[in-house]
Parts: sequence; structure tokens; C-alpha cells
Amino acid sequence: MRDGAFTTRRPGLVARLFGTLRLPLNDPFAVCGLLIYGIFLVTAVFADQIAPYDPTEILYTPEYDLAADLLPGEEGHLLGTTSLGRDIFSQIVYGTRSALLIGITAAFMVALIGSVVGLVSGYFGGWVDAVLMRLADIAFGIPFLPFVIVLAAFLEPSIWNVVLAMALVLWRDTGRVIRSQVLTLRSRGYVDAARVSGSSDLKIILRHIAPNILPLSFLYGSIAIGWAILTEASISFLGFGDPQSISWGYMLQDAFASQALAKQAYYWFVPPGICIILVVSAGFFITRGYENLLFPKLGK
Amino acid sequence: MTETFLSVRDLKVSYRVGRGSLDAVDGVSFDVPRGSIVGLVGESGCGKTTVARALTRVMADNAFISGGRMLFDGRDLAALSERDMNALRWREIAFIPQSAMNSLDPVYTVEYQLNEVLRLRGGLGRAQARKRCEELFEMVGIEVGRLRDYPHQFSGGMRQRVAIALALALNPKLVIADEPVTALDVIVQRQILDQLRDLQRQLGISVILVTHDISVVAYICDRTVVMYAGHVAEQGTMEATLTQPSHPYSMGLRNAFPDLQGAASGVLTPIEGAPPSLADPPPGCRFAPRCPFSIEVCASVTPPQVEVEPGHFAACHRAGEAPALRERARHVSTWMAEA
Amino acid sequence: MSHLKAAASRTLQLALVLWAVVTILFLMFRLMPGNPLAAYIDPTFTVEQQEALMAQFGLDRPLWEQYFIYLGNLLQGELGQSFRYREPVAERILALLPNTLVLTFSSLIIAYAFGILAGAYLAWRRGSAVEQAAIPLVLTTRAMPEFWLGMVLLAIFSFWLGWFPAGGTRSAGAEFDSLFALYTSGEFLTYLALPALTLAIYSQGLPLLLMRSNMLDVMKEDFVTMARIKGLSNWTVVVRHAARNALLPVMTSFAIAVGYQLQGNVVVESVFSWPGLGRELVNAVSASDYPLAQGAFLMIALVVILMNLVADMLYTLLDPRVGHA
Repeated sequence: MRDGAFTTRRPGLVARLFGTLRLPLNDPFAVCGLLIYGIFLVTAVFADQIAPYDPTEILYTPEYDLAADLLPGEEGHLLGTTSLGRDIFSQIVYGTRSALLIGITAAFMVALIGSVVGLVSGYFGGWVDAVLMRLADIAFGIPFLPFVIVLAAFLEPSIWNVVLAMALVLWRDTGRVIRSQVLTLRSRGYVDAARVSGSSDLKIILRHIAPNILPLSFLYGSIAIGWAILTEASISFLGFGDPQSISWGYMLQDAFASQALAKQAYYWFVPPGICIILVVSAGFFITRGYENLLFPKLGK
Repeated sequence: MTETFLSVRDLKVSYRVGRGSLDAVDGVSFDVPRGSIVGLVGESGCGKTTVARALTRVMADNAFISGGRMLFDGRDLAALSERDMNALRWREIAFIPQSAMNSLDPVYTVEYQLNEVLRLRGGLGRAQARKRCEELFEMVGIEVGRLRDYPHQFSGGMRQRVAIALALALNPKLVIADEPVTALDVIVQRQILDQLRDLQRQLGISVILVTHDISVVAYICDRTVVMYAGHVAEQGTMEATLTQPSHPYSMGLRNAFPDLQGAASGVLTPIEGAPPSLADPPPGCRFAPRCPFSIEVCASVTPPQVEVEPGHFAACHRAGEAPALRERARHVSTWMAEA
Repeated sequence: MSHLKAAASRTLQLALVLWAVVTILFLMFRLMPGNPLAAYIDPTFTVEQQEALMAQFGLDRPLWEQYFIYLGNLLQGELGQSFRYREPVAERILALLPNTLVLTFSSLIIAYAFGILAGAYLAWRRGSAVEQAAIPLVLTTRAMPEFWLGMVLLAIFSFWLGWFPAGGTRSAGAEFDSLFALYTSGEFLTYLALPALTLAIYSQGLPLLLMRSNMLDVMKEDFVTMARIKGLSNWTVVVRHAARNALLPVMTSFAIAVGYQLQGNVVVESVFSWPGLGRELVNAVSASDYPLAQGAFLMIALVVILMNLVADMLYTLLDPRVGHA
């Protein structure tokens, strides 16, 4: 290779990836959503530094009484304590971790499986397409939340049940949308041109089709983050979550079971709900920004 | 010439775009004699549809009439209150749209949509409306039995007949037809145009026919108004404007279309270039940048309407030399050289 | 004729989906870790009961044979015995289904009535401050965990203000001759109010957003412009033409929403101790009452699949363009 080749360096992989994703940075709602994600991400990473207590630690007052049901501000507890004497603020901070962990892995799985199914189904067509789309029909016939509950009954309680269930069922929406997108792309001239010029299927998919569906995958991925967090919260609330890991859904279950409603302990069960709403709507806002970008007609 | 029935004077229609506005129609004047068919012809974007819609005063959200008068039977449509204007709509001024497919509501039967105008706008009772529906269908040559069908069950030509029936429902004085046959094939075009002309003669109504197709004008119109970039380039009787065009644009337009009989009158030659941007129109004659005969004055002075013969006007600085220019315009090379 | 044919092929397709779901469920209950017999037979049953069930489900036979016995039982509506209640699963589920349906439909009817009107209103006020504020607010309601909304409403309206009871469908000791008598009693409404409101707040976003975007699209259609050129009144243009067309997909989405709502019910019924299918599923899974859990799941899946079919049928029924072409 000649030296000159190095002077025209292509932008780095990360920069190119971000370029392909086409983040909707000109939409105020989307920017707001990305900002919320950013704040929660920082909280999750630095949870150890931010949280004043271990979220599962049972705390005592200086008088050696159980520090239970303290109101916000009492004894320096920002959001008070639970009936078991745990610090609510610390639980919120650590809850961010499991929420994002589940949200992002599940969204990644859903977007990945959905995109691959959509790509293969749309590109190859024929019986492959028929089989995959019948599978999608079946997935549409499965009631999702009941499915997660039944699955949870057979597996060890774990936060990964939700990820598994989502990967098994929720690829259906992404798959269908990506498939129809691929069908449109495939009918464009340049794909035929590439085929005539002897490019392999894999090369055509990777070079000509995949980059064009990536924003759509990302769009469905950001919807799936919200779904995953909501589902995890529901499952934990119903008592099928992992009792060892603190999540917002677990906090709500704990509050509900500990009569927080009758005690009017809003400081206990309102903050986790707000956090869930913030993260999930952040996903929606980013989605909306994307829709304006991808389907300009919808926004106007 | 019979009495003038509609008289448009210095009509100006503007669109709000961003913070500014552009004039899609800028100082258009023409007359419609009672009982005649006037063809409003020009390329897409020349403002002909905007003129047609301005006459109904139902325009795009960002469009407004910014000047001029539209004297209709003694009343100025531009100055009427919305209430008075609405009273005129369909009872006196009806409309035939380009695509009857999109202009008929897909979820109602054709009878329902006829009844709607007959009863809500015409004040007819149930029995009268029913009778009138059948009458109208007979008039446009569709079996009465098909009244109960939905729009999508008709063919393109049939739907256009339904649109004509709908337009004639309340015996209007003026019918505005916006590209009424553009979406149809040539044979059906002729059938529909024949029918339109027969009904127009029979009922004595006036028609403004908006089209980009000069062969449609040649087939059916009594008078022609040629529009270019929001201005009137030339107007006069159909014979005069088509056989003796006096504006270079009309000469070029005639070269660019086959006639409706199917026989091409020589080689089809498109006019090179595209109409100017209305947001920033050129000074002087708007056709000058594309005109093979433009001279110095064309680029700076807007040409006045010159009466080349009685009732035949052309907005061209060289209208006086029209016969010589016409001769040169017949040659393909005249239009190519300028490209 | 093609109309009927399309409906028949769609029905067949959904029947296949149902069969697939049933099969997946069979495999899940068989391949789970531990004793396969545990799926159907509670060790605390009497020996006679155990043997009867062994025979009924063919639990001593090979897997494929068990599968056909299982399918045969299902076709006869035979879902086994509940471990906890010692009564046929089918009976118990059919007894709970009406409660779930009443909750689902009442909340969805509220949600759709509100969503359609508000969506049309927002389309009409496009670009206004009201619309700018309303859209993020609506998106926020979609981002709420339904059970959390239920908890907040319970804490405020039941525990604090005392306006509504905290859960269930009737006060302790109240007896009604029939379900109909229960559902038409005034007291039932106070029990229904909070859970129905919770689900309605969550569900109104879908019809609202759908109606709004459809209205915006339809208002740009030529036939709406034509209706104005015809001089028809604003009401006729907006309601008879624009709204009538915009409503089509919204009405179709109602059936789909019933399916989604049933899933949401699982959590909300638990919050309000509403004796319905969803709460039963949760309780059955918690108590390892597998036959009951399986039955409840199948019932929910059946309604979801049926509603997909109804959505298709509604579409052909409401839109004259489909089915004639």
C-alpha cells in the first residue's frame, strides 16, 4: 500500500457508527430524552459513590432502634427509609443499575433478533420468509406478560428472565417492520446493480441494506428499552423478580406489601414510579425525534 | 361576442412561506363570456390551479388573495363575506376535480354523496333528491342501478362522469374543471370531453377548464388563457391563440404536444429549461431566460399586454413581429440552439 | 365470495397460531426442570385421584402420546384439576372470565371515547399551545407502569379521601343472585371505578394518538377539500367526512387493544384484588398450581388471538374498499 493511502484516513469506527445511526440532535424532545438517559447512565455507573448506604442494609438509629419508616429528611435520609429500615434514596440509585442493565440488554437482543429476522426474511423471501413470518404470527399470539410470568415460574428468579422472554417474543414487531423496509430497499436499483456485478448476498446485505435499516433498528431498540423496564417492574411487583437485586419494581412491591399506601408513604412509592416514567418517556421522546427524521410526514 | 359573465381583474394570490410570502398568481386578468368554455393552460406551477381555487375561495392553509377582483355576475368574489361566498358555492360555482378517485369520499356510496349536496345545499326533499339523482346519472350516461355503488367500484372514466354529475347537481352557472381528464387514457378523455361539451351547450353553463395539455384546449375550448409563472402570457379565442400564437411561450407549448386526434403535428419539441422560482422571479419578462427570441429589453422591462388583433392579447415586447417569429418557431433548431 | 374466502383463510391461520401456542405451552410444562408429573398431579391428592389423573393425561405414556391426549383433552375443554381449589380448572376460569371482561371493556370504552374526542380535538388545534403541551403528557401516560398508577390512585382516593373501596368487587358478605345483578348494582360501580380508571388512563393514549394523526392525514385528502368547495358546513366536513374516515383504523385498533389490555390486567387486578383471570394466573403461578396457571394462560391467549381475528373482521366490515375489490 502506498503512503498516500494513510493521508486520507476514514473517520473512526465509532464516528461512522454514530453517523449511520443519525441521532436526532435537532429535535428538542429527543435531546431532552438523550439527556435523561445520560443522567441515569452516570447514576448507574457511579452508584457506589452516589448512594449513601448499601440498598439492602438494615439500618439503625444512633439509639440502636430499627431505622424503619423514617420520613424524608429524618436522620439524614433524603427520601426516608422502608419498613425494614433500608434507605430509599440508595435503593433508587441502585435501582437505576438494574433498570438500565435490563433495559439495554433486552433492547439490544430485541433489536438484534428482529433486525436479523427482518433482513433474512425480506432479502431471501420464498420459504424462509414464509416460515419466519409464520413464527412472527405465533409470537403475536402469545400474551407477553402472562408468558413472562409462566416462564418465571419455571426458572430461577432472576432479572434475566425478562430479557429472555423479550428476546423470545418481542422481536416480532421489529422483525416485521425491518422486513418491509428491506423489501423496499431490495427493489431499489443499486441492489440489483450490486447483484449483477457479482457481489455476494452477504456483501450486499452488509454494505447496501444493513446501513439503511440501522436507524430503524435503533428506533425499535429505544422503544424496547421502555418495554423491558416496564416489564421488569411488573414482574418484580408481582413477586417473580430476583429478591437479591434491588430494582424499582421490587421497591414498589415492597412498598405495596408493607402497607405504604395505607400509611400514605408517598415518599416511598412515588419516586420509583417517577424514575420509571422518566426513563421510559425518554425512550419515547428519542423515538419521536427519530420518526420525524425517518418519516418526516408524520411529524408535520 | 356575448356578454361577459366572469371578469377577473389583476388577481394576485400569495402563499405564506416561512416568514415571507411568494406570489403564485401575480396580476392575472381574463374574462369568461356567458356560455363559453375558457381553457386556462400552462405548465405545472404556473398558477392556473391557484386561480381556479381562488374562484372557489377554498385554498391551501397558507394561501390568500392579496389583490384584485373577481366579478361574478356583478358580485366581487374576492370581497364577499365568507357567509355570502358559501351561499354561492356549488349552487352557482361547482368544481370538477382532477382525480375523482381521491375527491369522492371512499366510505360513502355515490348516491349518498349526491344526496348530500342535493339535500344539504339544494334543499331538496328525500323524494325530489332521489329523482334528481337518477336524472343526473342518466344525463352523464351511467346506469341508475349503480347509484348504490362505492367510488372504488367505478372505473376511472366512470368516476369522472360521477364527478360531472355531482358538479351539475344544483344547476350551477359556472363549472370549474381542474385537469378533468388528465388521469385518463386518450379515448376516454375524448368521451368525457365530448360529454362535458354537450352538457355545457345543453345547459348553457360557463366552464373554466384548467389543463396543462394544449390538445385538450384545442379539442373543446372557445377561448384560451395561457399562463406562465403567475402571469398571463397570451389570451384570445382558441383558434387565434393556437393557429396564430403571438407569445413565444405559446408557440413553444404548441410544439410540445400531440393533438387529441393522435396525429402529431410535426416533431414534438420540449421547451428547454424550467419556469423561474416564484420566490425570486426574474425582472422583466418571466419567460425571457427560456425564450429563443429574447432581446435586451426583455430582461429588464415587464412586457405590457399588446392587442395583436381585436380580443387577442400577448404580453410580449416583440408581439408585433409575431408572424416572423412563428415561422422561426416551427423549426426544431430554434429551440435546441438556446439550450 | 373472495370476502368469505379471505375470512376463512385468516381464521385458519389464527387456528394454527392457537395450536402453536398450545404446543409451546405443553412443551414448557413438560420440559421444565423437575418431575414432569408435578405439572398435573399434586402429591397431596389421594391415591385414587392421582391414578385417575394419570390415566386422563396418560402420564405413563411416551411424550408424543401424552401430547395427543393433551390436545384431545383441550378440545373437550378438559383442563385438569386445580391443586389449590380441588375443582376443575375450566369451571373456575369460566367463573372468573366475566369479571376480567367487564373490567377490560369498561376501561377501554372510557379510554376510546375520550381518546377519539381528544385526538380529533388536538388535530383540529394543530400547532397550538394546547397541542404542544398535550402530546408529551399523553406520551407520559404511556410510560407509566399501570400498577404504579393504580397504587397512586388507591393511596389518594381510597386510603386518603376514602371515596372508593380499596379492592375486590363487593363488600364482605354481600350476596348477589347472579353476575348480572352484581354488575348492575350501584355498589359494584364504586369497586369498578378505580381499576377501570387506572386502565383507562393508560389505554387512552393509543386511540388518542392514532385518531390525531389519522385526522391530520385525512384533513389533507382531496375529498375533504372538495367537501369545502361544495359549501358543506364545517361540522359536516369535519365529522361526516374527516372523522368518519379517520375513525376506521381506530375502531380496528380497539380489538387489538382488548388483547393488550388483558395482559395489563394481570398486574392491575393484583393491585386492586380484582377476582379476574390475570390475578388468578399470578396466584396460581405463585402457588405452583400448574393446571390452573396453564388454563388461565390459555384463556388469555385465546382471547388475544380471537381479538386479532375480530380486528380483521371489523376492518372489512367498516371499510367498503376492502372485500369488494
